[in-house]
Amino acid sequence: MATKSSKQMTAVSKLLDRLIADGKLQAQGPEKNPLKPVWDKLICARCALCYLYCPDAAISRQEDGYFDADQELCKSCGICHRECWFGAISMQEVE
Amino acid sequence: MDTYSLFAGQFLPFTERYLPGGHNAVLGSGTALALRHVYKALEDSKADLAQASWDETPTGVFAQSDETAAPVLVIPKSDTENLYICFDAEASSKKIKPEQLAKKGPAKAAASGCQYVATASPSHPFDLIEKIRRGWSAAGAAYIHILCPCPVAWGFETENTVRIARMAVEARVFPLYEIAEGHYNITVEDQSPRKAADYISRQGRFSTWKKNQISVLQTQTDDKYAQLQNTAAHEIN
Repeated sequence: MATKSSKQMTAVSKLLDRLIADGKLQAQGPEKNPLKPVWDKLICARCALCYLYCPDAAISRQEDGYFDADQELCKSCGICHRECWFGAISMQEVE
Repeated sequence: MDTYSLFAGQFLPFTERYLPGGHNAVLGSGTALALRHVYKALEDSKADLAQASWDETPTGVFAQSDETAAPVLVIPKSDTENLYICFDAEASSKKIKPEQLAKKGPAKAAASGCQYVATASPSHPFDLIEKIRRGWSAAGAAYIHILCPCPVAWGFETENTVRIARMAVEARVFPLYEIAEGHYNITVEDQSPRKAADYISRQGRFSTWKKNQISVLQTQTDDKYAQLQNTAAHEIN
């Protein structure tokens, strides 16, 4: 498919704007819940790598030695899921 | 907790400067991660972080290149001496050249009389924290250059921030070394380095690069690293 010229692109965006204004088209899909990290305590070795690499300081140590994320501070970047050596963290939708 | 555990974070203070409320940086921000480690490193010292200020002048002494300005955190150590920490998020435009990836800041700082100069990466947090502490306890002014990957500007998945930072070290594009009182020391050295193309291919900002540009970066990286190794070897002997 050939690339469209800027004139054509503005025409398309104008058409989309009109359709959205008329209510025939939704600007965005339904919002999904952001994925949050969930720890599997059977696998977790409590090495604190997730705690070290969290840029938002959302992960803290619980009384039993395992780790958990503050749902409000967590921005669901997924660094903890990527950096966990043991694969104990999975990103899931949390209510 | 058990008597035996692998808990690595127990050697660090637990106080978090971001709490309560968090910060406004983008998700997966390397700068936020590096700043968190800087705060942790200086928590036990007598550093007055309330007096720290940001210097974003593009033509300063420690500006990392002539084109882009990297913010420098200036923490006063005494009346005349400061600890400079540069958070380098590099250039984000797609016209980035291989020469821009070579850091001039550490050499400039060493030439202008800093007693302790080091490069650090948030992917090696204990290395970073040790360097910040050494910089704080050094006799004169100190300069630490931190590479901070930004997922938005560099164009990679937010979860790969630490992975990209580590890859820059492994590919020797951003070698970790320190210059303590004129003595060079390579702190993280990998005997089987990655290729620079491995680091380049995972970022959107290099999508327009041709093969010859990648080979230019590879030769430049090898040259710089050989130079660094040579200097370090001669300094020790």
